[in-house]
Amino acid sequence: MIKFDHVTKRYPGSDDILKNVSLSIEAGEFVFVTGHSGAGKSTLLKLIAALERPTHGTVLIANQNISQLKDSALPFMRRRFGLIFQDHKLLYDRNCFENVILPLHINGITGLDAAKRVRAALDKVGLLSKEKAMPITLSGGEQQRLAIARAVVSRPSVLIADEPTGNLDASYATDIMSIFQAFNQVGVTVVMATHDALNRYAMHKRVLHIDHGELKNEQSISS
Amino acid sequence: MNTHLQAIKLVLARMLQKKLSTLMISLVIAVALCVPALFYIGVNHLTTFTSQLQSETEMSLFVKLDANNDQINQIKDALAANKAIKSVKFVSKDEAWQALKAKAETQDLDKNPLPDAFFIQANAAEPEALEKLKNDLAKLNNVEKVLLNTEWVKRLSAILALGKQIILLVAGLLAIALLVIISNTVRMQIITQKDEIIVSKLMGATNGFIRMPFLYAGMLYGLIGGLLAALMLTIMVWLFNQSIAQLAELYHSNFNLPIFDGSLFSKIILFAISIGWLGSYLAVTRAIAAIKTN
Repeated sequence: MIKFDHVTKRYPGSDDILKNVSLSIEAGEFVFVTGHSGAGKSTLLKLIAALERPTHGTVLIANQNISQLKDSALPFMRRRFGLIFQDHKLLYDRNCFENVILPLHINGITGLDAAKRVRAALDKVGLLSKEKAMPITLSGGEQQRLAIARAVVSRPSVLIADEPTGNLDASYATDIMSIFQAFNQVGVTVVMATHDALNRYAMHKRVLHIDHGELKNEQSISS
Repeated sequence: MNTHLQAIKLVLARMLQKKLSTLMISLVIAVALCVPALFYIGVNHLTTFTSQLQSETEMSLFVKLDANNDQINQIKDALAANKAIKSVKFVSKDEAWQALKAKAETQDLDKNPLPDAFFIQANAAEPEALEKLKNDLAKLNNVEKVLLNTEWVKRLSAILALGKQIILLVAGLLAIALLVIISNTVRMQIITQKDEIIVSKLMGATNGFIRMPFLYAGMLYGLIGGLLAALMLTIMVWLFNQSIAQLAELYHSNFNLPIFDGSLFSKIILFAISIGWLGSYLAVTRAIAAIKTN
């Protein structure tokens, strides 16, 4: 599904953020990315989601080399991924329903079909009753669930979450983690960055630990 | 197609939210369109007016009253031989006298005061060539006077041609101003919609998708501005006709400007829409390149 071969990433004027990273993620996996802040977790996620291109090495997504894709083809590659951010990146000038329908409009899906799918996605995260609410009136946990609904509404094959529970209370975090688990169980690949390697939901999951831009060890955390 | 409808709906909703600023920008566009359009209407109407005048006789040659038939024939031959002359129409003093008597009260006159006359159409249309021909003809024997009837018409039409060029220049300058105004307005909108653009990019929106609502916004500004301009022009021309009517009556003329010029109005509106599209295209293309997803 996702394959990194000796990938190095550097931004103009920066040191190497990622150094010589090789990895592969299979369809249906649930993978954690850990490491201290600034280690390169977010950069790794951006490369996986085709938001950035590698400086050296190759990134293959569904057997397509990201470096060789045209700019005009990148948006279509990005639609395979559902993205969830620590700061939600919700649009606060529109209600929950309108937030969730945006990816469908981007995919050219409109009308009744779109509305049905939006309600299904809101239902999955338990926000069906709040479709008319403005995001600002929701709690932090609800906002993150709304962001998840928006990420899954276009049925992406991979969910990429960058510290989705970073700002949340323990009880909300548990909520969010179980939602990701549920999607993973129906076959969605999940890649999640977290600075908390001992997250109890990391049991029996593969962990990619990054230290100063290098992939240190691949381990499976067991309790 | 649905995506287009979606974008238009979004833009209309946003415009309704900001009625005042939408009205303001549309008014600016309308005024900028009105100025050259008004000049155009005036100049265009005068041009048709003067071209009607030009088709009449260009030059009149009056023979001395005491000239006899031989001398008149000499002039006739000289005119026929002159290569600068296209056609000549001879009106004898008797014919002119009859025509005048038929038209006007002439009881007071017991003797024909009119001279024999030649009405001449020249080949050339340039004022210089006509001036030269006029001087040449005036030197012929027994010629009392040569009049260049349409001299002022020619001058007027030359001024009008210059006027048209000035209109083009003014219209061009105003088009640039409009382009700047519209692209700046759209740029302000882009800044307020920056989050939306970033999120859309992250979700795999193409540049075309991101651009679309802004392009429709620019085109709608153009459309509203163009319609307002058409309305303003109609009112202004109507007011002008009201005030000119009295003056025209004194001259037994029904000079007035056409109130509704559908072809001009549709051109103005199309022009405004194109400018709106172009202005927002420039703004949004620059913005898309500048806005980074992270």
